[in-house]
Amino acid sequence: MSQGRQLTFNIFRYDPQEPNDKPKMVRYQLTETPGMTVFIALNKLREEQDTSLQFDFVCRAGICGSCAMVINGFPTLACRTLTAKYPKGEITLMPLPGFELIGDLSVNTGKFMRELAERLKLWLHPKSNDISVHRLEDPMDPDEAARLYELERCVECGVCVSACATKQMRETFVGAVGMMKIARFEMDSRDARTAEDFYHVIGNQDGVFGCMTLLGCQDNCPKDLPHMQQIAYLRRKMAMTLIR
Amino acid sequence: MTSITRVHNRVSTSQGHPWSAKADRLQSATGIMLGGFLLLHMHFESSILLGKEAFYHVVQLLEGGMFSSTGHGFPIVTKVFSVFMLLMVIVHAAVALRRFPAQLGQWRALRLHMGSINHKDTHAWFWQLITGFILFFLVPVHLFTMILNPEIGPHLSAERVYHDNAWLLYVLLLPAVVVHAMIGLYRVAVKWGITTKRSGLRKFAKVLIIYLLCLGTASLVSYLFIGSELGIPVQPFVPE
Repeated sequence: MSQGRQLTFNIFRYDPQEPNDKPKMVRYQLTETPGMTVFIALNKLREEQDTSLQFDFVCRAGICGSCAMVINGFPTLACRTLTAKYPKGEITLMPLPGFELIGDLSVNTGKFMRELAERLKLWLHPKSNDISVHRLEDPMDPDEAARLYELERCVECGVCVSACATKQMRETFVGAVGMMKIARFEMDSRDARTAEDFYHVIGNQDGVFGCMTLLGCQDNCPKDLPHMQQIAYLRRKMAMTLIR
Repeated sequence: MTSITRVHNRVSTSQGHPWSAKADRLQSATGIMLGGFLLLHMHFESSILLGKEAFYHVVQLLEGGMFSSTGHGFPIVTKVFSVFMLLMVIVHAAVALRRFPAQLGQWRALRLHMGSINHKDTHAWFWQLITGFILFFLVPVHLFTMILNPEIGPHLSAERVYHDNAWLLYVLLLPAVVVHAMIGLYRVAVKWGITTKRSGLRKFAKVLIIYLLCLGTASLVSYLFIGSELGIPVQPFVPE
């Protein structure tokens, strides 16, 4: 097999734990292998060239949502990005903006997602008569289950938050991930919350009426979730609430 | 004693308020109205490209010529309508102000974001923001002219453009308003889920921007030519 081409990586390096460290870009050279993803390249770099390089990964298959980063200006998952996609062989990696930096390419999306879930109460609020554990659950309509499943595919990678200029400008804005999850529970027939309850959570400038429809979420989501339709649905729903 | 001097609170305490929905609906409704009006306005004024006669009849029709004894119509119609449009612009501007990065930190966050993340619709919104800001100053100038001096006609409009130097205003106003309104109409359609065919709509908005810029520029040039041929004092155009 012929020798693969040389890839150049420009990687953001900064360790907030090191007292004298300053943010900088560091260049690395690596020989490309067939089917190489940015995730594979990062592991090779860490193994062979720089053991201090920090980045997150768990599943290497686009399911865990840990390896999201900004690759040549597009926030996406490193494990789903082939290096062959870049004809010049020049790849710039930055951590996702808008999150607490752990170090280099690693950001604390978990902390953000937990705060968001607590703030928006992103769990099922069962109807009061559902409490008995002896009662059989009502069957769910397959179409409804399919609609819910579509939104459940979110891996909480944080790409939609980083891709949203509104979120970058307004710290308290809930972002697409929050609204997608609200939409998921709004559609769920088992959830006791009414449209008015949801209005009190997202019916403001930090919620659906603060969204400016820049659609960075829709265009960058690695799971191709229907942000545009869902946020528009919520906006219509919320705009109808409290006027009846 | 606690060592924590600053509590970083990401959690907003603001609750849903009926005005949040009202403001969003008002912004979209006034935006659609103003954008729709722009499309009509641009086509009415560009009827000058079909000749003085054509423009005269458009003005005559819109100013209610058939109800007036002279047959020319009533300039007061333009005056009243301009006041109404000014009110629309004020409402639209007031609710759209919610979107402006009013603090320097927000502006820096926006510029930093645009520098690091490559996204076309965000750039389109940025241009809408810039043109929106420009329109704060240009639209009232245009509307005050139409309120204080509402005489419209092939010669009277040309006099305004050429002898009163209104072309300077229109050269700045035309690109700002066309870009702002067409990106705005595109956004309002995807915002409320009126359509999901986004790429087609985006192309359509681009084509409309180019078309309206050409149409507006051609009309402006045509008024400049008519104005340069007019003697002072200008006599209103009367069809033969």
